Amino acid sequence: MTDDKDVLRDVWFGRIPTCFTLYQDEITEREAEPYYLLLPRVSYLTLVTDKVKKHFQKVMRQEDISEIWFEHEGTPLKWHYPIGLLFDLLASSSALPWNITVHFKGFPEKDLLHCPSKDTIEAHFMSCVKEADALKHKSQVINEMQKKDHKQLWMGLHNDRFDQFWAINRKLMEYPAEESGFRYIPFRIYQTTTERPFIQKLFRPVATDGQLHTLGDLLKEVCPSAIAPEGIDGERKNQVMIHGIEPMLETPLQWLSEHLSYPDNFLHISIIPQPTD
Amino acid sequence: MEEDEFFGEKTFQHYCAEFIKHSQQIGDGWEWRTSKDCSDGYMCKIHFQIKNGTVVSHPGTSAHVQTCLPMEEALELPLDDSEVTEATAATEVIKYEYHVLYSCSYQVPVLYFRASFLDGRPLSLKDIWEGVHECYKTRLQQGPWDTITQQEHPILGQPFFVLHPCKTNEFMTPVLKNSRKINRNVNYITSWLSIVGPVVGLNLPLSYARAASQNE
Repeated sequence: MTDDKDVLRDVWFGRIPTCFTLYQDEITEREAEPYYLLLPRVSYLTLVTDKVKKHFQKVMRQEDISEIWFEHEGTPLKWHYPIGLLFDLLASSSALPWNITVHFKGFPEKDLLHCPSKDTIEAHFMSCVKEADALKHKSQVINEMQKKDHKQLWMGLHNDRFDQFWAINRKLMEYPAEESGFRYIPFRIYQTTTERPFIQKLFRPVATDGQLHTLGDLLKEVCPSAIAPEGIDGERKNQVMIHGIEPMLETPLQWLSEHLSYPDNFLHISIIPQPTD
Repeated sequence: MEEDEFFGEKTFQHYCAEFIKHSQQIGDGWEWRTSKDCSDGYMCKIHFQIKNGTVVSHPGTSAHVQTCLPMEEALELPLDDSEVTEATAATEVIKYEYHVLYSCSYQVPVLYFRASFLDGRPLSLKDIWEGVHECYKTRLQQGPWDTITQQEHPILGQPFFVLHPCKTNEFMTPVLKNSRKINRNVNYITSWLSIVGPVVGLNLPLSYARAASQNE
């Protein structure tokens, strides 16, 4: 029987095989070969693509290079979303490798946040961690930590160091002995079919009668269309995906929050159409 | 959803409704917007300003003065060529958009804003900074509202600048305590916006405060 702790490792070390191709209209001095890379599901695009940038900049002139941005089948990729979320939401039904187009011109100001430096990614990441703790613990745990603990969370993610990260993160996963879970569960539900980027609401992990709320309970309450049956055979038309898998709807939300959250301590849930094959 | 805190979403919507009522009375331009697929919404205001860069004439020196004036005032300015020796008057119209959303994570209102030229070119944070009056610049750098960062608008999904909400309770609590002491009615949104707004070029006419204390 798999230990719960093994789940934490499986989530952390998840990878997506990706093929980066330079946009055909970029000006190059030589032909640019595609670049292959295994992307960590739990990290961010601009944090793990230094090698990709260097590879393509080798065949370009400095004056033709502006801020890098990535796109998949015409959709600009939001670097501030975790890589695994982007893949599950936009490309999980396509064949591997994930094809990403690299741009150095024409930054889409209306769609993407700027990412001038690694500090921007750190600030965004820490902002998410703090918001998650505001929901779980009224910010008490994160505020009690020292600056060096915050730094350790970031460095753990930055350097792909599971133990370094979880030495601190485990404190964010605790709750008072007299309670059955966190105050509210940090989650965001994403669908490509809506204008709204995600759904985020206050939701408790435990009901008033003490029963643990499940993933199904959450969806029924905040996104019923996600699990609505359709057609005569009552087949669901959507998949509910986290980290590339479909957890059973009966799974307690508290357990999901403790084990399947991303490093930012949020459960990022994708609602995608059932693949037709 | 859950409303066991002082400033829940329903309370937020109530204060916004009162605020907008007064805005309509004085023609201040605030309106309520809802998203199609959800019951929540936000307050929105758009206004246009002229960014006027002129070199002020002093013999021997050149002081570059940049002022942001509301459109109406700018159009009344006398154009006196004799006073300007090196006149480089470049006027650009800038569209400012302010949104007031509710953060369920921090249970406080949050101010989102962006600015662009009429052709759609967005202003960078640096450009927006230049429109902020000196006295607010130092205040912003000292906090307590920390920093302005670029973030994704949670309802529109587009890049906006945001004043981070995690310190809002810190500076709002004394305001609310004081008004309770002197038994004065306060509209949370009015008080909060009058504090954070000017820092990013958004000013509230005094009549909002009078309206708030008259309510109920």
